[in-house]
Amino acid sequence: MSLAKIFSVSSRVRATGASSVLVRHAQYSTEGKTEKVYPPNLPGYKYVNAEDPSLSMKEMTNRAAQTLFWTELARGFAVTLAHIFKEPATINYPFEKGPLSPRFRGEHALRRYPSGEERCIACKLCEAICPAQAITIEAEERKDGSRRTTRYDIDMTKCIYCGFCQEACPVDAIVEGPNFEFSTETHEELLYNKEKLLSNGDKWESEIASNIRADHLYR
Amino acid sequence: MSLGKIFALDKVATFFNIIRQNGGIRASLYKLYRQDELKDGTLVGEDKYGNKYFENPRFFYGRNRWVEYNDKAYLNYDGSQVPAEWFGWLHYKTDLPPHKDPSRPKYKWMADFTENMSGTTGQYVPYSTTRAKVEPWVPKSKSS
Repeated sequence: MSLAKIFSVSSRVRATGASSVLVRHAQYSTEGKTEKVYPPNLPGYKYVNAEDPSLSMKEMTNRAAQTLFWTELARGFAVTLAHIFKEPATINYPFEKGPLSPRFRGEHALRRYPSGEERCIACKLCEAICPAQAITIEAEERKDGSRRTTRYDIDMTKCIYCGFCQEACPVDAIVEGPNFEFSTETHEELLYNKEKLLSNGDKWESEIASNIRADHLYR
Repeated sequence: MSLGKIFALDKVATFFNIIRQNGGIRASLYKLYRQDELKDGTLVGEDKYGNKYFENPRFFYGRNRWVEYNDKAYLNYDGSQVPAEWFGWLHYKTDLPPHKDPSRPKYKWMADFTENMSGTTGQYVPYSTTRAKVEPWVPKSKSS
C-alpha cells in the first residue's frame, strides 16, 4: 500500500513537471491526442490522488445537478453521522495509557542493592556531568567507614532529563525511572533531596529493575 | 459478508454485550459517568490497591489495555495511582502482568506505592539532609 502511494506521489510530480510538454504536444502535433501520463496502467498500482474532472457534456450536467439539488449537503451530513459511531482515535488517559520505552527518562530515583544498602558512593560523576548543574552532592564518611552522601539534591526544575547522570553512574545508583506523573502544585516540591530520591527508588524498584533488564543487551 | 454484518447487527450485539458485562443499565451508566467510556474486556489482574486491569485486543493498540481505579477513589482517580508493578504492563513495555513475571524483584525494603501527593497534607516538603554550614552563635548563659 505504501509503495503504491509513493509511486503515485512521484508520478504526480513527474506529471506536473511534464504538463507543459503535454500541452505543446496537443497544440502542435498533427495527431492531436492528449495522453494522460497518470494514472499508470500498471497492474498492482492504485491511483490515490484527485483526478481532474471530466469535461464531457453528460458529466458536467451531472455535476451541475448535484450542486442544484444540494446532494453534497446530504452526503456531508451522512459523513458527520458516521463519525459519531466511529471509534475515537484518542486514548482515555488516566484509564488507558500510551506505550512507553524501557529507556524512558522520567523521575529520578536512587537505587539500593538487594541487601538494602544504598548504592550511591558519592563519586560525584553525575554532579560533574550534569549539563544543567541540577545535582548537588555532599559526602562524608559514615560510621562504618564507607563513603556515602549526606546530601544528594536534585533540582527537578533545572533538570533537562538528558539521562547523563544515569550514564555516568558507575554503580547504577542514580537512574531516571519510568514515572512521569510527578507534577506538583508548587515549585518547592520539585527540589528533591536524598530521602525523597531513595524513597522513589524503594517505590519504583520493581519497574526500574525490569527496565534495566529489558535493556541490558544494548548497554 | 453476512447479512448481520451489512446492517451492523454485530455492533448492536456488542453494545448489549458491553452493557451485560458492566453489570446492567444502572452500573453501566455509573461507569460511564465515572470513566467517560464503556468497554468490554477480560480481567487480567488486580493489584493490592484494588485497581483492576483489563485487556481487549478488539480495540487498537494504545486502547486495548486499561485500568479501572478502585471504587473508593470515586472521581479522585489519578494516573499516578497505578503501582510500579503494573506500570510496565499498562504502558505496553511487557506483555507479562506482574503475577506472571517471575523475574520481577521482591525485596523486603521495597516500599508501598503512593500516588502523587502534591497539594495534600502528605506532600513532599524539601528539607536539608545536612547540618547548616553557618550556625548562629548562641552565647552561654552566665547562670549555668
